[in-house]
Amino acid sequence: MKVKGSHVILSFVLLFTGFILAFSFQLTMESRSSADFSSQPEVEDELRNQIIMQQEANRELTEELRSLQSELSLAEEETAASERRYFNLVEDMDKLRMLTGEVAVQGEGIEVRLDDADYVPEDQHANSFIVHEEHVQRVIDELFVSGAEAVAVNGRRINHQSYIQCIGPVIEIDGDRSFAPFVITAIGDSEQLELALNLNGGVRDRLVSENVEVRIQKQNNIILDPDFDDSEDVQS
Amino acid sequence: MWLPIAGLLIGILLGLTTGFRVPDAYSSYLSIAVLAALDTLFGGIRAHLEKTFEEKVFLTGFFTNIILAAGLAFLGVHLGVDLYLAAVFAFGVRLFNNLAQIRRILLEKWSRYRERKSA
Repeated sequence: MKVKGSHVILSFVLLFTGFILAFSFQLTMESRSSADFSSQPEVEDELRNQIIMQQEANRELTEELRSLQSELSLAEEETAASERRYFNLVEDMDKLRMLTGEVAVQGEGIEVRLDDADYVPEDQHANSFIVHEEHVQRVIDELFVSGAEAVAVNGRRINHQSYIQCIGPVIEIDGDRSFAPFVITAIGDSEQLELALNLNGGVRDRLVSENVEVRIQKQNNIILDPDFDDSEDVQS
Repeated sequence: MWLPIAGLLIGILLGLTTGFRVPDAYSSYLSIAVLAALDTLFGGIRAHLEKTFEEKVFLTGFFTNIILAAGLAFLGVHLGVDLYLAAVFAFGVRLFNNLAQIRRILLEKWSRYRERKSA
């Protein structure tokens, strides 16, 4: 087969065409593959999604923060309430300590002095003219009933567990012996205490009729010391 | 007959293996050139079948078409008008026309051949 000039030209043209075709094919492939990586809208979409996700996370965290804050404020309120309760408890405890005689008490009050009768007629027994434990007990009861906060007999605090016993001419209060005269000091509203003792037919009248010398005196400032060994005695 | 096919294969191989890079801005020129080359090629085949093939016309047509199309696209880019679309349109229409002519001639040849064989 003879090689004609037209064949040479045709092959040359085909070579050129093939070159251009393959080249543009390769170029298109490359640009497409690179477009996959850096195509603008996709990147934008991804960034937007990230922003949305971040915002979502932010919102969740804010919600969490808010709930934690409310929890915290609740806890604070609780603490405040319990502190108030403790304060009240401490106050109650102070009052109760005053009543049980564990702390010193100071304030206005009243002093009642009971003494044996000076004059004993010959024909009567001396026993009817001395102060008995029941007299002391009666005064103390009356004082407590009329609102005394603290009571002491000859400096000895009387609490809820105290006992008063008669031992012949002396009386024993919580294991301590006391002699006449008995000074009963009470802290409280002195006016009211005095009135209560001086009622007609009240404690004072009865004591006087039983030949006890009674002297009642209001005091502006009385200090009652606590009595520690006394409570130990009671407990043992 | 084998020489043009060999040329085509060598051309494709060269195009695939070359490391030559064209910037993205000029890729539209390349596509225009591809269209022009294909159009001229099919035109040449049609002329060959119609027995009106002329080497000089074919060769000059091939290159002037490519250069003209690229120039048109260049002008369009710089004028802000998509002139390369006109080139694409014209070449596309001519391409399909040429293909239709080729198909018709081939069909005619084939039916004549069958008639002669059966007769």
